Amino acid sequence: MVKGDMYLAQASDEEILKQGESGGAVTALLKFALDSGVVDAVLGVKKRDGNNRYDAVLDLITDPEKVIDCAGSLHCVSLNIARNVKEYLGGAKQMKIAVLCKPCDARAIIEIAKRKQINRDNLLLIGLNCTGTLPPVVAKEMLISEYEVDPNEVVMEDIEGGELIVTLADGTKIAKDLLELEKKGYGRRDNCRRCNVNIPTMADIACGKWGVKEGEKKTFTEVCSDKGAEFIDNAIKTGVIKVEPPGEDAIEERKRKDREAIELSNKCEAEDLKELREISLDDRLAYWLHMFDRCIKCFSCRDACPICYCKKCFLEPDRGYVKGGEVPPDRMFHLTRLAHDGDSCVNCGQCQDACPAEIPLTRLYLMLNIKLSPMFDYVSGMDVEQKPPLIAAKDEEASIDDIDIFLVKGEAGEVVPQQ
Amino acid sequence: MGEEVKGEFEPRIIGFTCNWCTYAAADLAGTARMKYPPNIRLIRQMCSGRVDPLFVLKVFLRGADGVFIGGCHPGECHYMTGNLSARRRYSMMKKLLESVGIDPKRLRMEWISASEGIKFSDTVKEFTAQIKGLGPGPFRHIETEGKEQK
Repeated sequence: MVKGDMYLAQASDEEILKQGESGGAVTALLKFALDSGVVDAVLGVKKRDGNNRYDAVLDLITDPEKVIDCAGSLHCVSLNIARNVKEYLGGAKQMKIAVLCKPCDARAIIEIAKRKQINRDNLLLIGLNCTGTLPPVVAKEMLISEYEVDPNEVVMEDIEGGELIVTLADGTKIAKDLLELEKKGYGRRDNCRRCNVNIPTMADIACGKWGVKEGEKKTFTEVCSDKGAEFIDNAIKTGVIKVEPPGEDAIEERKRKDREAIELSNKCEAEDLKELREISLDDRLAYWLHMFDRCIKCFSCRDACPICYCKKCFLEPDRGYVKGGEVPPDRMFHLTRLAHDGDSCVNCGQCQDACPAEIPLTRLYLMLNIKLSPMFDYVSGMDVEQKPPLIAAKDEEASIDDIDIFLVKGEAGEVVPQQ
Repeated sequence: MGEEVKGEFEPRIIGFTCNWCTYAAADLAGTARMKYPPNIRLIRQMCSGRVDPLFVLKVFLRGADGVFIGGCHPGECHYMTGNLSARRRYSMMKKLLESVGIDPKRLRMEWISASEGIKFSDTVKEFTAQIKGLGPGPFRHIETEGKEQK
């Protein structure tokens, strides 16, 4: 098996097959990883108390029998996986961990691995397709007022073809238009609306159900690295998963769904940033200063940001940029963060989730990131070997005298979003 | 600031210049008695690569109307690649300023070698005129201690 191979996979174990949402392949693989000793622990996401799907918690599992607690997918979560690995698991420097992650989690892990604060070699990233997550409290409200159901009755959520589909315990499915819901203030998290990375090809394995026929309990699995290939090979040999090659139509179907999701996100992005893009510079500055002045200097954005990398933070008063004891803080507070992380932002939305003043930080970061990406040919969090653009000066640049080479490149490559 | 003549706007420009090239060029311009506007205040850095984006931001927030960064030509950096990093940061800063709503034209970078005294004085003349055209910077009303004047 090599990088790029695709399979339709299914767990061999009956129990896992029943518990898993799409054939239990992911659960079976995680269990196998622990059983075979490929990893020391699995970092998974499970429902709190085993039943509360609106309050998911991270769980570091070392007992293979407990992996099944993480079966089934949850949409009302936005756990900060990368930051947890870095902060509380010692950057995975001492132990090998298999991490279940969405594309943004995988990208954040890769970004911080570039800064040597997580050991990527010790991680096995099992990526899950993602078309957006919902903020739990708002989701509950929405289920009551829009779907008119008891949130505790819900057994499954799904975002498919621009619709949010909710399945109840008795099997009823209710679908509503996502954009309509979002107009009313419900729906996905703000950053998820504009996210266009749905398939985590930067992880070791990308799993999802796009390309699987309706009603079939299988997981579409793509092998994305050599490490992933070796792991899947062993899993197949041991017989924990059953695989079959997907047909051309399945691959095409997956591509089509990915394209559709990207189109939707581009549309949302154009819509959300339209006003900020069109107003004059003075108005834009006034807008952001007004937003920054709502800040209560709780440092949540800094503490939540998975790629905030300074060991000794520039926002501390002894660094001389932001005075201590001032609320709202000096504007340097937010601009420093923007200057440090803007080029590598992975649009995970953790800063905005954490902000008690509801400053729309992800819009600011995304606006900058969209401009920087074509300038430096850099998409953050895709390749652990690619250095962050600001420190990646190449020797051949020494023979180019033009000051504006990156700016020119940026102008040429900047994709003007369709209105 | 004492230089403000009644009615006319005199920009305050902060220039970060590298010790080996642009600062020497400014020195040359001075010893050769070339004239250039007094609006620029130079801060000597060992290398243009030492200019942290935060310096530029802080300078703007403390009331500067423009920021100039001067370094050696690519390939001539005393520290090999300092100016190449500076160019990347400068490009990023231009976009950052635009994103938050500060006119990116207020930031300028130029390669000026130690022998290019004329280029230095010309650049300062040109940049000062440009900033005059743009008018006072967005934080001009803030005094240097960072307290707003009402």
